[in-house]
Amino acid sequence: MRSSGRFAFCGLLLVLSLLPACTGEGTEDGVATSAPGATATSQPEADEPAAPSEAEAEKVYRIGISADLTTTNHWAYLGPDGTIWNGYVLGGSKPALYAYSAQRYDWVPSVAADFPTPLAEEEVAGETFWTTEVELLEGVKWSDGSDVTAEDFAFTANTAAEMQLTGNWPSIVDPEFFDHAETDGPYRLKIFFKQKPGLARWQFGLAFMPIFSRSYWEPVVAEARQAGDTTEQQKVLFSHVPEGEPSAGGFIFDQWERGAFAEKDENPDYSFRGTEVALYASGAYSAITAGLNDFTAYGEPGGETVLEYVEGPFAASTIYSIYGSQDAAVLALKKGDIDFMLNPLGLSKGLQEQLAGEDGLTTIENASDGVRYLGFNFRRAPMDSRAFRQAVATLIDKEFLVDTVLQGVAIPIYTMVPEGNGAWYNADVPLIGKGLTRQERVDRAVELLKAAGFTWETEPRVSEDGNFIEQQGEGLRMPNGKPVPAMQVLAPSAGYDPLRSTFAIWIERWLSEVGIPLRANLTGFNVIVEKVFDQQDFDMWILGWGLSPFPDYLESFFHSRHSELEGYNPGGYNNPDFDRLADGLLAETDLEAARQQAFEMQAFLAEDLPYVVLFDTPIVETYRSERIDFPYTETWGGLQSVSGMPTLVDFR
Amino acid sequence: MVLTLFLIITFTFFLVQAQPGDYASFYVLNPDLPPEVKDEIRAAFGLDKPAWQQYVIHLKNTFTGNLGVSFGNFPRPVLDVLAERVPRTLVLFLTATAVSFYIGFFLGKAIAWRRGGLFEYAATISGAMLFTAFTPAFALMMIWVFAFRLGWFPVGKFLDPLVWRGADVSANYVFGNMLLSAAAFITFALLVMLCLKRFGRRVPSVAAVPIVLGGALVIMAAWALSGIGGLALDIVKHMVLPVATLTLISFAGTMLLTRNSMLETIREDYVMAARAKGLPDKQVRDRHAARNAMLPIVTSLVYSLIFAIDGSVIIESVFSWPGTGLTLLQAVRSEDLPLVMGAMLFIGMLSLLAHVIVDVLYVYLDPRIRYQ
Repeated sequence: MRSSGRFAFCGLLLVLSLLPACTGEGTEDGVATSAPGATATSQPEADEPAAPSEAEAEKVYRIGISADLTTTNHWAYLGPDGTIWNGYVLGGSKPALYAYSAQRYDWVPSVAADFPTPLAEEEVAGETFWTTEVELLEGVKWSDGSDVTAEDFAFTANTAAEMQLTGNWPSIVDPEFFDHAETDGPYRLKIFFKQKPGLARWQFGLAFMPIFSRSYWEPVVAEARQAGDTTEQQKVLFSHVPEGEPSAGGFIFDQWERGAFAEKDENPDYSFRGTEVALYASGAYSAITAGLNDFTAYGEPGGETVLEYVEGPFAASTIYSIYGSQDAAVLALKKGDIDFMLNPLGLSKGLQEQLAGEDGLTTIENASDGVRYLGFNFRRAPMDSRAFRQAVATLIDKEFLVDTVLQGVAIPIYTMVPEGNGAWYNADVPLIGKGLTRQERVDRAVELLKAAGFTWETEPRVSEDGNFIEQQGEGLRMPNGKPVPAMQVLAPSAGYDPLRSTFAIWIERWLSEVGIPLRANLTGFNVIVEKVFDQQDFDMWILGWGLSPFPDYLESFFHSRHSELEGYNPGGYNNPDFDRLADGLLAETDLEAARQQAFEMQAFLAEDLPYVVLFDTPIVETYRSERIDFPYTETWGGLQSVSGMPTLVDFR
Repeated sequence: MVLTLFLIITFTFFLVQAQPGDYASFYVLNPDLPPEVKDEIRAAFGLDKPAWQQYVIHLKNTFTGNLGVSFGNFPRPVLDVLAERVPRTLVLFLTATAVSFYIGFFLGKAIAWRRGGLFEYAATISGAMLFTAFTPAFALMMIWVFAFRLGWFPVGKFLDPLVWRGADVSANYVFGNMLLSAAAFITFALLVMLCLKRFGRRVPSVAAVPIVLGGALVIMAAWALSGIGGLALDIVKHMVLPVATLTLISFAGTMLLTRNSMLETIREDYVMAARAKGLPDKQVRDRHAARNAMLPIVTSLVYSLIFAIDGSVIIESVFSWPGTGLTLLQAVRSEDLPLVMGAMLFIGMLSLLAHVIVDVLYVYLDPRIRYQ
C-alpha cells in the first residue's frame, strides 16, 4: 500500500510537472491547429520590454466582467435570463427602429428612415386601433448579407405578443397596448395598438425593441409553436442555442467558453460604419452615413458642436473576460490583461484607491442612473401626515453626511430624476432642509409638527451654539392625542451598502433627538424586499432604484394603482392630484409636453414627499488610456451604460 | 444511507426556502412589469405553489432522476450545469489535495522521527501559521506577489482567452481528458506496483521507476500529438498559483496529523523490536511506523478527495475559477432552488460514498478490523 500510494501521488505530480515541459514547444503547434493565427502570450518579465501581444497586434478590445453569461439567446436574455451581464455582451447586435442619441438622450432614428407618422385612430373590420407608420432605411444589412426589413420587425413583435413572452418582454411589447404589426412592402411598417400608447409604450418602449432576423429565427419559432401551451413554446424558444445568427451591429457573436470568456468579432458588413454623428449646442442632431442616410433633427445643424464622433468598429474583436470578483478584475486591469471593466455599480472607493496613480490608466466619474431614498408607509400614522414627512426631510442633513461622514463619495439629491438625466431633470423643485444649520433644522421641524397638531411633553431644545441637542424631545403625540408609536426604518446592512446603513443610523439619531421614536433595523436586502414589497409590513425603508432615461417610473412608484401587494408603490401613497399627473404622463404623445408633465410631477413629489430622496453615487470607471480611446467619456450612467460602445472604441 | 440522503434533501430544501423572497423577486424589482406577468413568472418556475407542495414535487422528481431546470440558467437542466462545473473543480482540487497530502505526510513523518530538532520547530511553526492564514487575504497576496509583481503566473482565471480564441474544443473537453489521463496513469502505476508485489522477490522495486516514467511519457506524447496540448498547458499554467495557495494553506493539517499519529506509533513495542533487530532507520520509519500511523491520515485523505468536488467558494472566487463552489454560492444567493438542491444532493451522495470507502479501506489497512 505504501508503495502504491506513493506511486499514485508521484503519478499525479509527474503528470503535472511534465506536462508543461513536454508541451512547451507543442504549445504553439497545438494552438495553431485549433486556433489559426493564435499564439500563446507569455507574461513579460517586469523589467523586460514587452513584446507586442496578440491583443495589441490585432486590436482586440479586452473587457473584464464579474459574472458569466447565462445564455446567448437574445429572446431568453430579454425573457427569464435578463441579467446585466448578458446585456453587456449581447447588447448592440440587434437593430432597433429608434435609439437614444449619445450624451443627450435625444430620441433619434436608428434603422428607421425618419420619425414615425403621428398616431391615428383607425377602424379595421369593426375594431378600433391606434396606428402609426414607419419607413425603414433601405440598405441596412444583416451580417449574412440580407436586408434588415419591416418583416423582421413585424416578425419579432408579433412573435413576442403571440407567445406571451415573459421576463422583460411585456415592458417592450406591452400586451395591453400592442396588437400587431403589418408590413407594406419590405421597408414600410404599420403598427396597430389596442389603445392610444403614450411615449412610454411606443416611442420609449416598442420603438426600442431589438429586431431579430426573421430568416434565422422563423424555423425556431415554427418549431416552438408545435410544443404545446405558451409555457412550453417559450421553453423551446428560450432553449435554442444560436449558431451563426446574423448580427446587424458592429460585432458578431463568435465564441463563449463558459466561465472564462466570450468573444465577438468585427462585422465587416456593418451598415453604419463610418457614420458621422454630431450634436450641436443649439440642440440639433445629425447623423450622416455615406450612401445610406443623411438625418438631422431638433434644429438646423450649425454653430457650436458639443460632440462629434465617427462610428467604427475599430477593433477586430471584443473579448469579455469573466472574473470571479471585482478585485480580480481590477488586478487584471492593473496588470494590462484587460482594457476596461464593466460593473453596474462602478468602482468602489477601495478599488479606486488601488488604481489611483497607475501609469497608463485613466479614471472617469459620471452621474449614475440611480437614486437612494427613504420611503414611508402611508397606511400607518404618522407617516401619512405631510407635515411629519416634511419634518423628517428637514431633519436629514444630507450635505453633512455626504461631505463629513461619507467623505464625498455620494451626491445629495432632492428629486427623483437624477441630475445626470439632463433632458428630464427639474432643478427647480422645493429643496426641503437644504443649507439649514442643525438649530434651524430642529426649529423648522418642531414648527412643522406643531402646526400640524403634534405636541410634546418635553420639547427638544438646541444648545446656544447650535451644535448639539441640549434637551431631547420626549412624549411626542400625534394630532389625535395618541403617542407617536415606536417605528423602524429598514435599511441594508453595512456589508451590503455602507452608505445606506450610515444614513439609516444618522436618521435614527436625528429623529430620536426631536422625540420621534425611530430605530434603524439594518438587515439583508432580501428581507427588506420581502417585508416592503411582498408583505407591506413596515414603517419606513431605505432602498434604491436604477432608473431609465424616460421617467415613466414616476407613475410606477407613486400612482395609487400600484399600491397592491408586490406593487411598486408599497408605501401606499395615494394622492388623486398626483395620479392625474401620472396618467397624463403615460398618455402623453408629445415629447415637450411630457417633459413639462415630468417637471411638474417632480416638484409635486419633492413637496409631498412619498420618498425623501437621499443621495446618488457617481459611477467611477477606469480604462487603459495608453491603449484605447473613447470618443466621449461624459455620459449619464458611465461608459458601461452606452449600448454599442465597443463599436466606438479606437486604439492609440 | 437512503434515510441520511432523504434527511439531507429535506433539510437543505427547507433551509433554502427559509430565505426571504424567491427567485422571482428578481423580477419584482422591475417597475415596468405588470403584476400578472410577475405571477406568470412565478408559475413558470413553480414558485406559485406552497412550500410543502414544491417539496413533494421536488422529492418525487429527485428519486426519478429529474433534478429539474436551473432558474438562473433557464432552461438549462441542473445536471448540465453541474456536469460543466464539476470537472473544473475536480482537476484543481484533486491536484491540490494530492500535493498537499503528499507534502504534509512526508513532512509529518520526518518531523515525528526527528523530534526536537530545528526542522521540527520550523516546519510546525510555519505550517501552523499558514494553516491559520486568512484564506482570501493570503490568496490575494499570492496573486499580488507572484502574478502581479513578479509576473510569473496569470492573474486568476483558468485559461487565457487569447490562447483559446477560435479553439474548436471546449475547456471541459480538455478538463475531461486531463482527468482521464490522470486516472489512466494512476491505474497504470497501481498495476505496475501490484505486479511488482506479486513478483517482488524476483524483480527489484527500482524497476518500477522507468516503467512508470515510460507510462507518463506515453501520456505526454499523446497530449503533444493531440493538438490540444497547448490548451492543456494553458490550464496547467493557470492551476499553479491556486494549487500552490491551497497546498500552503492545507498541508500543515496533514503534517500535524501524521506527526501525532507517528508519535503514538513509534512508542509501540513492534517499532522497538524492529529497531532492536537492527533494521535501517528508514525501513523502521516507513514500513513499521508510518504504515501503522496511516489509518487517520487515509481517512482524512479520502474525505478530502471526495469533498474536493465541493470546491472552495473563496479560492474559486479569488482565482476566478468557476467550479462547483462558486456555482453553489451564486445559486444560494439567487435562490436558484433546483441548482442548490442538485449540487447538495450530489455532495451528499458523495459524502456517503466516502464513508463507505473509508470503512472498506480500514479493513485493508488494519488487519485487526474485520466486518461480520
